[in-house]
Amino acid sequence: MKKAKRSVLIADRVADHTITIGGILVIVAVLAIMVFLIQQALPLFKAGHVTSRVAYDLDAGSEPVAAMAMDEHKTFAVVLLTDGNVIAVHAKTGTRLSSAAADFQGKEITSSATTSDRSSMALGFSDGTIRLARIDFPSAVIPSSELPAGLHKLDDRDLTDGSSVYSRVPGNQYRHISTEIRMEDPLAVSESGKPIVALDCNAGGEAERQTRAFVAVDSNGLATLNTAYGSLNLLTGETRTTVEQTRLPQIPGGVELHAVALTPASGMVLIAGKNGDVYRYNTSDTNAPVLAETTRVLPEGVDLTVFGFLLGGQSLVVGGTDGSLNIFFLLDRDAANTTDGRMLLRTREFERGGSSFVRFDPSPQGKSFAIAEASGALKVIHGTSQKTLMSFTPDSGVAEYRRILLAPRLDGLMAVGSDGRAHFWEFSVPHPETTFGALFRKVWYEGHPEPTFTWQSSAATDEYESKFSLVPLIFGTIKAAFYSLLFAIPIAILGAIYTSEFVHHRMRSVIKPAMEMMVSLPSVVLGFVAALVLAPIVETWIAAVILAFFVIPLALITTAYLWQLLPLRIALRLEGVPKFCLISLTVIAATYGAYRMGPVFEDLFFAGDFKSWLNGSRGSPEPFLFLLFMPVSLIAIGLLASRLRGSRRGDRPEARVHTRAGRIRPAMVDIVRWLVMLMGAALCSYGISRMLGSLGLDARGSLVDTYVQRNTLVVGFAMGFAVIPVIYTIAEDALNSVPEHLRAASLACGATRWQTAIHVVLPTAISGVFSAVMIGMGRAVGETMIVVMSAGNTPIMDINVFNGLRALSATIAVELPEAVKNGTLYRILFLAGLVLFSMTFVINTVAELVRIRFRKRAMQL
Amino acid sequence: MVDSRVTYTESLETINYPKHGGRGVVIEIKDFSLWYGHQQALFNNTLSIERGLVTALIGPSGCGKSTLIRSLNRMNDLIDGLRTQGQIHFSDENIYNPNVDVIGLRKRMGMVFQKPNPFPMTISENVTYPLKVDGIRDRRLLDETAEKALRAAALWDEVKERLHANALGLSGGQQQRLCIARAIAGDPEVLLMDEPCSALDPLATAKIEDLIYQLRGQYTIIIVTHNMQQAARVSDNTAFMYLGKLIEYGDTRTIFTNPKHGRTQDYVTGRFG
Repeated sequence: MKKAKRSVLIADRVADHTITIGGILVIVAVLAIMVFLIQQALPLFKAGHVTSRVAYDLDAGSEPVAAMAMDEHKTFAVVLLTDGNVIAVHAKTGTRLSSAAADFQGKEITSSATTSDRSSMALGFSDGTIRLARIDFPSAVIPSSELPAGLHKLDDRDLTDGSSVYSRVPGNQYRHISTEIRMEDPLAVSESGKPIVALDCNAGGEAERQTRAFVAVDSNGLATLNTAYGSLNLLTGETRTTVEQTRLPQIPGGVELHAVALTPASGMVLIAGKNGDVYRYNTSDTNAPVLAETTRVLPEGVDLTVFGFLLGGQSLVVGGTDGSLNIFFLLDRDAANTTDGRMLLRTREFERGGSSFVRFDPSPQGKSFAIAEASGALKVIHGTSQKTLMSFTPDSGVAEYRRILLAPRLDGLMAVGSDGRAHFWEFSVPHPETTFGALFRKVWYEGHPEPTFTWQSSAATDEYESKFSLVPLIFGTIKAAFYSLLFAIPIAILGAIYTSEFVHHRMRSVIKPAMEMMVSLPSVVLGFVAALVLAPIVETWIAAVILAFFVIPLALITTAYLWQLLPLRIALRLEGVPKFCLISLTVIAATYGAYRMGPVFEDLFFAGDFKSWLNGSRGSPEPFLFLLFMPVSLIAIGLLASRLRGSRRGDRPEARVHTRAGRIRPAMVDIVRWLVMLMGAALCSYGISRMLGSLGLDARGSLVDTYVQRNTLVVGFAMGFAVIPVIYTIAEDALNSVPEHLRAASLACGATRWQTAIHVVLPTAISGVFSAVMIGMGRAVGETMIVVMSAGNTPIMDINVFNGLRALSATIAVELPEAVKNGTLYRILFLAGLVLFSMTFVINTVAELVRIRFRKRAMQL
Repeated sequence: MVDSRVTYTESLETINYPKHGGRGVVIEIKDFSLWYGHQQALFNNTLSIERGLVTALIGPSGCGKSTLIRSLNRMNDLIDGLRTQGQIHFSDENIYNPNVDVIGLRKRMGMVFQKPNPFPMTISENVTYPLKVDGIRDRRLLDETAEKALRAAALWDEVKERLHANALGLSGGQQQRLCIARAIAGDPEVLLMDEPCSALDPLATAKIEDLIYQLRGQYTIIIVTHNMQQAARVSDNTAFMYLGKLIEYGDTRTIFTNPKHGRTQDYVTGRFG
């Protein structure tokens, strides 16, 4: 036996291994991308974790706590007692640091409030006065060489000189933090000098011209809305405060007050009684406040325990003695029986606690809040996602807390117990606002009239809450792909059939490479052209564009019909280039016709102006319905006619060899038949549109409503251009690879080339054509630059083809550069990438499965 | 391709013996020549096909017999650069007249190809394809035609249980009979068979030959074959072609037992081919 050459064997072995390794590497790479995306997105769904916990005695006596504060770095914890004593401790260790007590001249603090950003606080006293105060933590970074002598160690990071703290920070530097309590002069608020029993305050304005508003209720039940205008004298550095006071309408007698709340722009004051009655004052006109609404936020017999706003003053958190915890919004409602047409509505319900919630502290960052149960259990919850971020139970089994405080960066929680023990937990919740529901289900955001899918990742203010629903983006992606495929599939597949079955092969060898070259057209160029050239043209000539959708196919069909009436001798001579030119000419002529007829068409169907017709300001709905039902009824009538004809004439038409004589008459019959069918369809769709119109049905407002320049029609055109060559090339290859002997068999049966193409070639190549469509769809789904540039990027869910959209891919491209690394948006964009990846993965898998199914039929060929 | 090593000194005149006893001429080929581009494939062929009989075209590879049979239903039209001269009359019409309806012509001439070529559809869809092409959707008529054609092609008993199974699941011989059934379903006058058994095993071949024998009389059958025994078994008339020319045409028995022409003699006795 002859042996194979050694070198051949080696080459074979090497090739074998190279290919195997290459293939495995490709699979590994794809899997690695997927694993990477999952790994980036997964932390979004994780709850927080505790990083450290301590508890220490505060030596705070039994005085109630009036206020607490903590700096951003969780170095200091400052507790202000009602008698004016200030306890400053090193939060991590509990080491007492010295700080000056505030002098209240023997007056007790009877109520207190902190602004939602914690920049300032208001303290109400027993003599009916109020002092505005601040607890600041001035900090500076100094090099280690400037560290003063005589410091002693607090822990492995911090040093202290007894009153301030030096924390080591990277780069051999120290951060010097101290505390500073500033009290402003007392402001007399209660006319009768009665103690202030409830207080809420808010800060606004600029640094030089700060406005602080506070609402105070004295023990007589007199409620006042006060606005303190501070003006800083730039020369002396002194601040002058002037106060404007407005009395709110009297609260009904016998109300035992629980709390008062004020919205940031001072537009609304809520006064809550212990029994759950809430009095809402509309104070948008500060000179004339009105009691707008009296309502109950709790069931009968349940008392109020928690009442306060989350950051932004839109979500009102309400807790009752029955352990319930709810969030209320103030919303416009037609049913509202109030003076301003708005009412407090319960929008979110939280899981009931084992006992009632008694202490509440909103986070100055985002919509999270801390809440303490009467049993001593503590929770940190995100208001919008309703995710329980953290829950704690102290080891010592504290019965009650005097006060709880969330660290400014939502990374710590301090609770001061009635026994004087302080518990301090440090934790980390990087993504409090994301849950599966927040990303994929409807969420009732603050100020929205109902739950919605909203994508709105950033805004100008800190109080703003990012809205991360991926649904509008997925919808946008599918919408863009759907409309572009609607445009691309018929053209690409008919084009493929044309070149593979009808065109002379010399022509084909020109057309196909030309189409393939279109694939290499950079999509950014397409998007650019679409946005800056196509979009204005389509906008100007919108009626003509709509008309062209009807005129061009009709013109082509008519030309094709007339062509086959040509005497064969002439037809054969003109086959090839002249015929191709004729087709092109037809398209050009039809386009020109549509362009000329556009204004007339607009007059006739859209009352002269499409855009104002579209937004409903003029015109009637029938003409558009007529256009919509025209193709449908034409197809229906065509089917009906062919069915009737088919059954009437059961036997075969007689095959004739020679047909010169009988050519004109059947042609006339055909024309008449088509005209009758067209008329019938027009009549039918006219009837339907009149009927639907009289029923009050209008496509405007649902199917179409507004027109924006960067719309889906433009995207469809531009993306069609990107997708057509892909579908065309693959479909053409598939059609072309159908064995010639099947075409021969069909033609020998007396089928025309069209019948052969439709009944034999297309069904045989359907698996290839299908995968062409699917690959085109994959391209459309993943396509980025075209949608970025021409889709308008509005994350709305509207099937209207004249409206814009925002696709997943475009969102990633546009927002990733401004997303903070490892931030919520950053991870959500990775999740969007994962969703996109899964979509294309699913599309391709389905395509492959269907393709295999189809291919089984044609496998033995 | 033409084997140019075989050379003959005798003149290449056609010896034509139209057989008497048929029911008249159905196809008349008059002085027909054909070129593929610059290469001439058929040289001035003249012959008459008689109605209701089986006519075999024999000859060595590349002699033009397939070209000739494909010229009859103008399947050659699909080939680029084709040129013809002369006439082929079918029912007193010249089918190369430019005004001829080729589709109508093909409906009247069923064709069976060398390789079984059923469509990747069900068996009944395959058989009723010619009717579908004519726009007939009457379910009853389609079923009747399918049964009739399958019976005529001696396939009914084998497939009646699985008319809706894919035709590609049939064996090669069954597939070829299905193709014959399909050709018959269109109710043609002429059946053109281009080496219908060359891809089949002897058993399947025997069945096809039986079938041709049964169809004889109902249809005018023209069969191209390489197999001289087959030609001898199934045909009434035989035409021997060589190098694109019709050498001898006549009664099959005469051609095989007493050919007038030396090359025919050499070919039928297996001295070349």
